Amino acid sequence: MKREKSSIPLGLGTENIGKLLAQYAIPAIIAMTAASLYNITDSIFIGHGVGAMALSGLAITFPLMNLAAAFGSLVGMGGAASLSLRLGQKDYDSANNILGNVLMLNLIIGVSFSIIALLFLDPILYFFGASRQTLPYAHDFMTIILLGNVITHMYMGMNALLRSSGHPQKSMFATIFTVLINLALNPLFIFGFGWGIRGSATATVISQFVVLMWQISLFNNKNNFIRFKKGIYRLKSNIVKDAFAIGMSPFLMNAASCIIVVLINRGLIRYGGDLAVGAYGIVNRVAFLFIMIVMGLNQGMQPIAGYNYGAKLQSRVNDVLKKSIIIATLIMIVGFTIVELFPRAIASIFTKDNELTEQAVIGLRYIFMFYPLVGFQMVVSTFFQSIGMAKKAIFISLTRQILFLIPLLIILPEYLSVTGVWISMPIADFISVIVASCLLYVQYRQFKKNHFKSEIE
Amino acid sequence: MENYIINIGRQLGSGGHTIGEKLSGQLNIAYYDKELLQIASQESGLGKEFFERADEKTNIHLFGDFVGWFSSSMNQGYFNNYLRNESLFQIQSDVIRQLADRQSCIFVGRCADYILRDHPRCLNIFITARFEDRLQRIIKKEKISSEKAKEVIERTDKQRSGYYNYYSNKVWGMSTSYHLCINSSLLGIDETVAYIRSFAEKSLKLT
Repeated sequence: MKREKSSIPLGLGTENIGKLLAQYAIPAIIAMTAASLYNITDSIFIGHGVGAMALSGLAITFPLMNLAAAFGSLVGMGGAASLSLRLGQKDYDSANNILGNVLMLNLIIGVSFSIIALLFLDPILYFFGASRQTLPYAHDFMTIILLGNVITHMYMGMNALLRSSGHPQKSMFATIFTVLINLALNPLFIFGFGWGIRGSATATVISQFVVLMWQISLFNNKNNFIRFKKGIYRLKSNIVKDAFAIGMSPFLMNAASCIIVVLINRGLIRYGGDLAVGAYGIVNRVAFLFIMIVMGLNQGMQPIAGYNYGAKLQSRVNDVLKKSIIIATLIMIVGFTIVELFPRAIASIFTKDNELTEQAVIGLRYIFMFYPLVGFQMVVSTFFQSIGMAKKAIFISLTRQILFLIPLLIILPEYLSVTGVWISMPIADFISVIVASCLLYVQYRQFKKNHFKSEIE
Repeated sequence: MENYIINIGRQLGSGGHTIGEKLSGQLNIAYYDKELLQIASQESGLGKEFFERADEKTNIHLFGDFVGWFSSSMNQGYFNNYLRNESLFQIQSDVIRQLADRQSCIFVGRCADYILRDHPRCLNIFITARFEDRLQRIIKKEKISSEKAKEVIERTDKQRSGYYNYYSNKVWGMSTSYHLCINSSLLGIDETVAYIRSFAEKSLKLT
């Protein structure tokens, strides 16, 4: 917060593209990987320490966890965007007000969400696909998570603010710390204390609590331009309004992914039983790891592509797009190869149960089917976003995650049973790759035309 | 004596642009309105059309920036996207500060009053006019029908107030946001210029 930063870092328009990409993408990739390792460790300890049914119970809670995260990011993200704007203007009073307001709003939303979700916990879980066997696990896990929900929300909110207030490394460390603490506490609580699935949830809440304390101490430092002090907590209508307006989009996106997971879980339970849901829990964790790595790459690509496009340096735009597509594809090919060659080994990281392993193997094979192409699709979508063509970006993204997936998930299982649920995902992947290719092709014809025109002029 | 700055906020068709231009001629200081976009483009290396597209507008309304966020709740790339309106505003405001450091000048619009709020010698003015006068001015300037002009005025007012309120945390056109609010229809352009000039000379102690 002390260093004056210029609005545009030097070198975006001149430095070697590969070097820039490494500089911007590697920290983001580390942060994203850490975040997904968090979920993976939970699943591993629950799978081995509690059992196969507990993994299914855990998978049932995914949509509710997504929804909680959606509410958590609602204010945090919006507040972070406003905060970075105020800090750019060195308007520290307004920035402080945003900090206080975000904290208050997270408190209010976090507590309200917990109360409502706790009151209707069992009906919600049944609706999300819980059975008699899985409900106790889902119930126990979620009760602790919901009791600690305020902590989770504040931790997420503070992390977003840390990042936008010029401390991206500290925000990355915060994520890594939660992973490490979680990693240490999980075996202690599950194997040492015999707390079962509750132990895992407790580890999650405690790890976030510890890191939240650290975040708060950072914002308490008198040397910081923005810090906690009296009078910043009273809600101000313009701050609240902006925070909600900006945060509404990530909220809807998260909420939509909640609906998808509910559809998948309900389909799997209906046609494949409880273990199919547990298998999805495993598959989801593995798939997410690779998706997150590519997302990290995309975060790194965005400023480079955006700036060079804005500066009309078309050959550099092509270069960064090409390199990003190649790297993303390589990442996905690695994932694809490992999963298709050793699906059993992967599944056995999470469980010893034979039947669950078999189901997870089937799921892994289907879901990763088109992953070598999905990297391309994700990069293209982010590319459109970075050059300011947001509508195309969202359209590409929606085709994979929602537009085609929902009808497929509703129709296919009717005919193909549990295979229909699994196969919906690669089919949606494939269609979205085609959509992305078409949009990119049209865009490049446009680029060529513009280039030709400017040469004549 | 230190540089002084006059910031002019204005309704579309109120004559704010002309008033600023005449004032700068009489006081013999620099004048920046749309010129800011060109300078911001040169300083940043980004194309001028991006600044024009984002000029005195904002994306902030429900679903407005839906897409800025689509990929994940942890999309920190969002903050590094230089084609976002907020980033362009940041570049433009750096330019305004640099120009204000160098010389005395007049800025029209672009939240310059907020950007230069810590400048020791600032005068912030808001100019309005009767609706009928604004309408006539726009019809003449843009050569469009009265219906169309009315539409343009209403839309621009909405955009400018959205832009100003979002970036400055103050309220556009509200008297407490400025030092002097004036309706140019009462005295006409030239007399209004003279009035503002004498107000500036006294309040900024120019003579």
